[in-house]
Amino acid sequence: MSKKIVEQDKRAFMTGNEVVAWAALAADADIMYGYPITPQNEIMHYWTRLAPKYNKNFLQTEDELSAGFTTIGGVMAGRKSFTATAGPGNTLMQEPMSMAEMMRLPTVVIVQQRGGPSTATVIYSQQEVTMTTIGGNGEGMRIVYSTSSHQELYDYTIKAFNTAWKYRFPTFVLGDGYQAKMREPLTLYDPESRGIELIPSQPFVGAEGVPGKDRPPAHFRNTYSMEEELYEILTDALQVYEKISPEVAEYQSSGIEDAELVIVGHGIVFRAIRAAVEAMREKGMRVGYFRPVTLRPLPVPQIKELMSSNKPILMVESSQGQLTRLFKEAAYGSTSEMHTLFKPGVGITAEEVEAAAREILK
Amino acid sequence: MSKRIVEAYTGEYAGGKSENALNRALALARLGRKVTLVDLDIVEPVYTLRPIQEELKALGVNVIAWKTRETVGLGEAGTTLKPGARWALRHEGDIILDIGYGVEGTRTLNLLEGAGTDPDLQVIAVINTSRPMTAGVGDIIEHVGELGRVDALLNNTHLSDETTAELVQEGARVVTEAARRLGLPVAATAAVAGIAEEIGPVDCMGNPVRVLTRFMQKAFW
Repeated sequence: MSKKIVEQDKRAFMTGNEVVAWAALAADADIMYGYPITPQNEIMHYWTRLAPKYNKNFLQTEDELSAGFTTIGGVMAGRKSFTATAGPGNTLMQEPMSMAEMMRLPTVVIVQQRGGPSTATVIYSQQEVTMTTIGGNGEGMRIVYSTSSHQELYDYTIKAFNTAWKYRFPTFVLGDGYQAKMREPLTLYDPESRGIELIPSQPFVGAEGVPGKDRPPAHFRNTYSMEEELYEILTDALQVYEKISPEVAEYQSSGIEDAELVIVGHGIVFRAIRAAVEAMREKGMRVGYFRPVTLRPLPVPQIKELMSSNKPILMVESSQGQLTRLFKEAAYGSTSEMHTLFKPGVGITAEEVEAAAREILK
Repeated sequence: MSKRIVEAYTGEYAGGKSENALNRALALARLGRKVTLVDLDIVEPVYTLRPIQEELKALGVNVIAWKTRETVGLGEAGTTLKPGARWALRHEGDIILDIGYGVEGTRTLNLLEGAGTDPDLQVIAVINTSRPMTAGVGDIIEHVGELGRVDALLNNTHLSDETTAELVQEGARVVTEAARRLGLPVAATAAVAGIAEEIGPVDCMGNPVRVLTRFMQKAFW
């Protein structure tokens, strides 16, 4: 029996990758499947250092396709399984994760975004939003949490396992190279001490009883012979996804009511936005922020309300507008004036956000 | 001038090796000593000290580290040693080595000419007890055992901007106890200005206190 990971709340100083490894342990994950790619490597490094102490397992596969498919295999065998990747690794991960989408399997993937296209840089970007939310062939029936701090990496990695096993849609924690490698304090805690009940895993194949007699046969398919068969399955899955979306979607906002400008962004960029908004508020400027925490599903009613308020919006991203595209779809028909500050593959400071905001408010 | 100081800083990833190494180099330079700071990170050689090299040089420290433009084709990493680093121990004056992270630990020193026989070399393991992997006496002993040669420990306990003197002192107690059981001395306790003054010239265990200025926030990884 594995021992408790965290006995009592503890303030700790770590890199984001280490945080993910500890959070996966706290979430009672059983096994990580992985293939190395910067900037997520230390998730594997720390998991493999911690795993033997807590009776956990690890398998290094030959590539990300394999890491994704073995994660699916682990899940089907009833193990809380996860993998972590970035950039071109995430590209390969789309094939297995669309299979998990088709089969409604609770896979968990941590993505630490790096520069793109292709190998680009190992450092940082927000350029994996499109791929992580709606990548692969399919309909994007996934859940994607975009974190902005080490505390959130801990909180949402734990939550990702519960979300995945509760709703049975592939779940992603979307971090980035800055969050992966930077160091800051956070509080480690035992989820149960916070009233978070860890949803137990269960086998999808090899369950007890005689198939067809004691239980329905386990029949997980990613291939259908006829369009109608597929359509029926997809219609059902899409209805479920639509139904759960309002309870899964999360966002954070401040100062919108009296704002003359609302700044929108996610992930680590949100921290620059929040700092800029706080600095401008102190100077008496009426600005607010809106941050989607889930990028899939998005908090659609709140986005519609925001974008119908006739307040100008400033979208800020370390990509060429990948979140903005999703926002436009969610807000279709609304009339807000939209400004942008896009720096694909590069970090954005609070000062840059403030300068862009001041330009609009002139 | 007193005898040459040769120190290699090692320890956990994100434990404070580089910060302590470069602060030590700068402190020695401020005393008017000739100092060479060597970046021995062979896992991510392009990143560690890169953005602050020029700043350190301007402060009077000779720096041996890769520059990005010298490593075209390496991409993110590449297990490579800058040729100058191999001969670093032949430099005149004090030599401060920043051993990067990686499973090799202090065995990276094998790549340096004369490391096995240098009479002045001291390998110092930097420990932050706020890091779960080195939080307790047992954890530290296990960790130091994996590093290879270690001649002393350094208490670098902190929680970034949340650091208190009390936290550093508690770290000093844990690190000193681990050092006692390992049969090693504690080279120092390190703390940022403000906290260091609050503690005084020695910590609660009698270890000398070094004042740190944070440079690595400006660096990568």
